Amino acid sequence: MELLRPSSVEELDGGLLVHGGTEVVPLLREGLLEAERLVDVRGVVPRGVDGGVIGAGTTLAELEVEPAIPDALREASRLAASPQLRSMGSLGGNLLQATRCWYWRLGYDCRLHGGDRCHAQDGEHREHAIFANDFCASAHPSDVAAALVALGARVRTNLRELAVEELYRLPDEGNRSTTTLEDGELLLEIELPPAGASVYLKAMDRKRWAFPQVGVAVARHEDGSTRIALAGVAPIPWRIESVDDLDAATPLPRTEWKVPLARALVRRALAALA
Amino acid sequence: MARLIRTEKEVEGRFEEVWIVVEEDPLEQWPEGQLAVVGRPAPRKDGPERVRGEARYTADLRLSGMLQAAVLRSPHAHAKVRRIDLAPALALPGVRAAIGPGEAHGLEEEAGFAGAAVAAVAADTFAQARAAVEAIDVEWEELEVVLDPDDAVKREQLTAEPRTYERGEVDKAFADADVVVEGTYRTQTVLHNSMETHQAICEWQGDTLHVYISTQFIWGIRQAVAQTLELPEDKVRVVCEFMGGGFGSKNGPDEYTYVAAELAKRTGLPVRCALTRREENTSAGNRNATIQRLRAGARSDGTIVAFEGEFTNSVGWSGWNASTEGPMRMLYDCENVRTVTYGAKLNTPPMKAFRAPGFVEGTFGLECLIDELAAKLEVDPLELRRRNYAASNEGTPFSSKNLEDCYRMAEPHWERRHEVHSRSDAVWKRGVGMASQIWYGGGGPPSYAWVRLGSDGRATVITAMQDIGTGTRTAMAQIAAEELGIPLEHVEVALGDSARGPYASISAGSSTLPSMGPAVRAAAADAREQVEDIAEQRGLPKDTPLQEIVAVLEESQILGKGARGPNPTGMSVLTFGVHVVEVAVDVETGGVNVERVAAIHDVGRIINPLGASSQVEGGVIQGIGHTLSEERLLDPETGRILTTSLDSYRMPTIADVPEIICEFVDRPDEHLTNLGSKGLGEPPIVPIAAAIANAIRDATGAEVHELPISREEMLRALREAEERAREKEKRGAPAAV
Amino acid sequence: MSDLRLTVNGGEHVLDVPVGTSLAEILRDQLGLTGTKIACNEGHCGACTVQIDGVPQLSCITLAHAVDGEVTTIEGLREHPLVEAFVRADAVQCGYCTPGQVVSAAALVAANPQPTREQIRHAMAGNICRCGTYPKIEEAILSWQG
Repeated sequence: MELLRPSSVEELDGGLLVHGGTEVVPLLREGLLEAERLVDVRGVVPRGVDGGVIGAGTTLAELEVEPAIPDALREASRLAASPQLRSMGSLGGNLLQATRCWYWRLGYDCRLHGGDRCHAQDGEHREHAIFANDFCASAHPSDVAAALVALGARVRTNLRELAVEELYRLPDEGNRSTTTLEDGELLLEIELPPAGASVYLKAMDRKRWAFPQVGVAVARHEDGSTRIALAGVAPIPWRIESVDDLDAATPLPRTEWKVPLARALVRRALAALA
Repeated sequence: MARLIRTEKEVEGRFEEVWIVVEEDPLEQWPEGQLAVVGRPAPRKDGPERVRGEARYTADLRLSGMLQAAVLRSPHAHAKVRRIDLAPALALPGVRAAIGPGEAHGLEEEAGFAGAAVAAVAADTFAQARAAVEAIDVEWEELEVVLDPDDAVKREQLTAEPRTYERGEVDKAFADADVVVEGTYRTQTVLHNSMETHQAICEWQGDTLHVYISTQFIWGIRQAVAQTLELPEDKVRVVCEFMGGGFGSKNGPDEYTYVAAELAKRTGLPVRCALTRREENTSAGNRNATIQRLRAGARSDGTIVAFEGEFTNSVGWSGWNASTEGPMRMLYDCENVRTVTYGAKLNTPPMKAFRAPGFVEGTFGLECLIDELAAKLEVDPLELRRRNYAASNEGTPFSSKNLEDCYRMAEPHWERRHEVHSRSDAVWKRGVGMASQIWYGGGGPPSYAWVRLGSDGRATVITAMQDIGTGTRTAMAQIAAEELGIPLEHVEVALGDSARGPYASISAGSSTLPSMGPAVRAAAADAREQVEDIAEQRGLPKDTPLQEIVAVLEESQILGKGARGPNPTGMSVLTFGVHVVEVAVDVETGGVNVERVAAIHDVGRIINPLGASSQVEGGVIQGIGHTLSEERLLDPETGRILTTSLDSYRMPTIADVPEIICEFVDRPDEHLTNLGSKGLGEPPIVPIAAAIANAIRDATGAEVHELPISREEMLRALREAEERAREKEKRGAPAAV
Repeated sequence: MSDLRLTVNGGEHVLDVPVGTSLAEILRDQLGLTGTKIACNEGHCGACTVQIDGVPQLSCITLAHAVDGEVTTIEGLREHPLVEAFVRADAVQCGYCTPGQVVSAAALVAANPQPTREQIRHAMAGNICRCGTYPKIEEAILSWQG
């Protein structure tokens, strides 16, 4: 294996892109990713906050203490992962992280791995999705993704510019990926529209260092609208229009508990902004 | 005078009769209270080396030429190896040897659980060994898988005969009872997850096997390995100077030791066989899940007249049937008790002792049931426990029981519940709960120590025991310093090598201090007596400082030896305690915050109050883990473990710690050895789950019947409590608070 | 094999190790610095915590070839007052997680010499201790200046 360290986007030429490595290194070690060439993009991806533009290489630890970003993003960063992982992990990397579903992480031949079943549905699924879970029941673990979706953020890559929710797609028979990134496409910057008030609430089963059982981000926008996005409830960050949308949740038998939990958090988040 | 006697000895709730040689134990116990050294807080003698990272654990040892082993483990919950070919593994770079089923103890042809060891490879690096394991060509014949414990019981697939117990006339007592409560309680499979994984390094020197191992029982490893490999015991040397946690899981050699020994034999090089964290989560043992179907009957005056329990332990493929029924039998004064305990043999990884095995699980069920009984009787939970105080252990007197003192000390904490309730609001309901603790204590013989004293007035306590992180090294030093009348700084303790000291007991079952401590004191007393003889011969007054007396010795030394005497006959040595816990429950999200724990324990004399409080805090925190967030999950279809890593098997972090108040009765057990210490390792983890569940019930009326108390379980219990309240209102009765 | 330059505890090292080797493996196996422990090897427990330019990171999932900055391990913090504070407070039981705890704590008090309990809990939440030494660790950090 070789490790390349380019200093510009132009130098990119294939290989497995790695930034902080908190996701890629363990996956490589477990054999869930394979690569002969690793490309360290820390010299390529912008880092730091400049007005409403955040470099995708900014670490969560930096965002945690950054006063000039919306509350929801700062709080999502603060409650994510562990202190060490926040120092190592980038915003971009966190957006692209894979599900914690144990079947996926243990290499079962599930739908996301190209197989023809979702083992969680008939198996152990108590941490899994309550929406869009008929093909794949995995839950999206990123706190900051939910915050950015609620904030209406846009993402700039080396190839295009898009709304952050367009970064994600539900896996289907023809394409098992949960992101829309192309080969060699690299997240560079996240741009935030002018922010109204925002909040992020996270339910975990220990006080720190846990993925969201349910995470709720709510942000008010200049046009008076309120956007709500949830972590931990669907294979991708999940937008709802109002708390009533939770009535349309399709929980599995052992994820039913997430519905009242989500309801309570959405209500609280909305109340916090009222 | 040496005597050969037969005595009963208990470890982790299992009793055995053993022959032992004992010396007289003529030392009187020290008076109650703080002494010159004993009873005073002492920082750990080996603290600096541990904190600075200078201590070498088994994982840190590097022997010249050492190879790394990796193990092939069955991916199937039940399968036989139909065919296995190690040649592809042997062909890979760096590979030095490979062994298959039957070629080392613990490598089996029939895999009874996913994760069972089948074959192993030694290579220059671990990555090479792992790659080689993956290259092994193996064909499996899959067999029937049984995962459900009730199913196993129905089929009579058990690890042993069901254990039944009965006293009194249970059916009649239930029929005559004024109030009966019943319920089914479930506890989950919990994993030890010590920070240092299970591992051993084996090296042959001539025909002597040197075993460096992360273990709780140096002498047990020596015995087991010698027996299995058909070696004289003194051809096996076991070394463990520092080890990174065990909690009951490291009492035996398991398969990795034999794998390392065999591969070392074949290659002529030292071999390390270390479990990865993934293997630790699958194959290193567990606290088994239980299903407890319980009933209690009482008279309206609060006298408990009958207990009945059916306990199903999910033992796994092998293991023993822990005494989940123990608390029901022993904690309260009840004339009529009937229990049956099944050990379900399942295609799941075998259980191993885990900090008060059986009693942690059984105390959850029993102490929750007691509170439900208290509610139905409309008697205060503390009062109900007092009213049914057991003065003896089914007729056998206790060597010491200060549970009443624990209850008395609990009163001010229990009193707080009115103020705690007043701080409830619409979302956060607050409550206080309690639970009692009973567990085995006292350890037992044999254990030995030597004390070596030189002309510098400094003493070395020589043992071949292990210190698994409980601070026993420091406690032994305190005991020796106290007995010799010298400062603690002048005492060193040698441990960790079976070649360098006499037999020492296991560090499990809360037994190190009560087993080794008296031996150390006896050895120090022997040395002290010799020093006094010398003082007399030199015509020095009795209160001459020891250093002065021995100053003339030059190279001569004083050698004292001591042994652990027998346990008191005809008495039960048990520890007692009570936890009073304050919780806040978010009734909308099912979140549970443990805010305050008062842990009050009667464990006999406390040698080191500083170390003792750490044991209590540690047990409480480990207990909070199994109460709220830890659970080993397996795939119902394949029987494979799903929670194999520490992001999915979630143990408490520092952020999960409540306020912990630690109080001891600190009264020596006057019948127990020359120390009166009963052992503290396990008691603090026993009652915490029930105390939390009872506090939840006090806060919300919700009855949780399952561990862990996940949000799912909490929301279920809250919904059920709401329904019960609505039913009651409909029927015209006032809603229960 | 690939040339690797690392500065560890102020000392420069040149090593020839394959890409993919973790910093933890280098420290423990190449440099004999076994104070840094590997307990999970996948970034979940914090036992392998070292500082890189003063920032606590998980050496078990850090590619040695991607290290930019100076590495400080527990061996480089031997004289730190926190060590004595930990010993005094009995903030050590089995000791396996302790070096990682000290490394994280040292970074905390460097940035914030008098942290509150809340701040301590937040900053130390990535260092798992199975023995449950947390209350004493908190006391040690509160009293580190003696």
